[in-house]
Amino acid sequence: MIGWLGQRTIDGYLYLTDLSAHVYVTLRELISPGRQGRWAALRVTLRQMLFTGVDALPVISAIALMLGLIVITQAGTQLPKVGGEGLIGSIIVVVIIRELGPLLTAFIVIGRSGTAITTELGNMRVAQEITALELIGIRVSRYIIMPRVVAVVLSMVCLMFYFDAVAVLGGFIIARIKLTIPFHVFAQAVAQSLSLVDVLVTAAKGMLFGTAVAVICCHHGLLVRSSYTEVPQQTTTAMINSVTICLVLDILVTVTAYF
Amino acid sequence: MQFAIELTNVQAEMDGEEWHVDFTLAVKPGEFVLLVGPGRSGKGMLLKLCVGLVEPAQGTVRVLDHDLATLDDEGLSELRQRIGVVLPQPGLRSNMTLYTNVCLPLVYHQGIDEEDLRPRVMPVLEALGLAPLQKRFPAQLTAGEARCAALARALVMDQQLLLLDEVMAGLDAEMVARVDRVLTAYRRAHPVTILATLHNPSPLLEHADRIAFIRQGRIEAMGPYADMAKTSDTALQVYLGSGLGGGLGSRLAS
Repeated sequence: MIGWLGQRTIDGYLYLTDLSAHVYVTLRELISPGRQGRWAALRVTLRQMLFTGVDALPVISAIALMLGLIVITQAGTQLPKVGGEGLIGSIIVVVIIRELGPLLTAFIVIGRSGTAITTELGNMRVAQEITALELIGIRVSRYIIMPRVVAVVLSMVCLMFYFDAVAVLGGFIIARIKLTIPFHVFAQAVAQSLSLVDVLVTAAKGMLFGTAVAVICCHHGLLVRSSYTEVPQQTTTAMINSVTICLVLDILVTVTAYF
Repeated sequence: MQFAIELTNVQAEMDGEEWHVDFTLAVKPGEFVLLVGPGRSGKGMLLKLCVGLVEPAQGTVRVLDHDLATLDDEGLSELRQRIGVVLPQPGLRSNMTLYTNVCLPLVYHQGIDEEDLRPRVMPVLEALGLAPLQKRFPAQLTAGEARCAALARALVMDQQLLLLDEVMAGLDAEMVARVDRVLTAYRRAHPVTILATLHNPSPLLEHADRIAFIRQGRIEAMGPYADMAKTSDTALQVYLGSGLGGGLGSRLAS
């Protein structure tokens, strides 16, 4: 038992070391003075942003609307019963903007883009595309990893704010059918409860979650060695680890910012 | 530069084999050396050692005046821009057409515009018979066409060294003739060193300056084709195409 625990701890430490190395390499590629491959890397970044950010808008909108509808309907119908109408703004800010918005956005990005990144890189590994790139002098860190990390981070931050806006405003419009609270009262309550810290924390979560998801998914894609059957295995592991690490980061950020 | 490639007592483990490779080889700039021998004899391993894909357990590998052991990632990437490599698996980007695959090193390393790309890339594609296939994706190509595309990608950068692993495998007779013509013309136009592997007789044998016969991770014989063809080693005769009666040229022609 102690041996197993020790081995798991060492494995976990090595895993986090590998992920940290990817983050370091990405930062080094971002700030390195070499101009070679900048345009090619920019094209990869834009293509990844289109897929991760723009193409995700319909599904983000639908899920944000449904979440907003549920939370606003529950808050708007239950709070007046206990005389808590004044708390509706706080409930929405705490539940949607601080917690569920960032987490659900991260889960959607993991499900759509994270899995796609792991699958793509895994298939590239098996087909020797990565080796071929290295052999023509193209660094995987610059052409493969850095553009994906940058694109996922930027997309994640934008999608989180978009998710919050759609969930709060769209959710209210739909819930208006049932609610008796006028929009200006609702908007005022949300605005009063929302602070600059909430906006900054959302941005910080976007950057942390985006970095974690992109790095984990790239790492597992590159772990594939020689068989296509390894690709779904690594994709599943990448997805589970991404979700777990996003939850851990969420706890750390929440405790740091609000405790 | 005295040697384009210099391997000194280089030893490396061979996956799945009890023996390990042990090479000492020097290739002069501009020389064309062919490695022949059975599959899993270490020919591909020798090329991988030369391009830094495999690290030797012992010995030194010097390529284009660089000791590979002393190079960091960046240095190795810079060196690889001067080396064209074709592996048995072509490794073309599956989401790019044949044309964009061939252009990739030029676009990435030299940032060349589209209008300047075509005059550089199209002659290579035409010489290899790939021009009509330029808009196809790798999945729509035959194995031979994909290998020719990988060769085209290696040739467009005007490299100083070409490492070609089984470049003739899977090619039809016309493609073999085209590749032979292209490599001959390329050698005439560029001061390039070529190290290539073969496991079947090919017209390239007669164009090589030297031929090395590799078996079980060791270079067993080495010399010009004319000298090697006189060997009494029947295993070597098979790979040189001289053990089946008649000359190589007549058999290939037939």
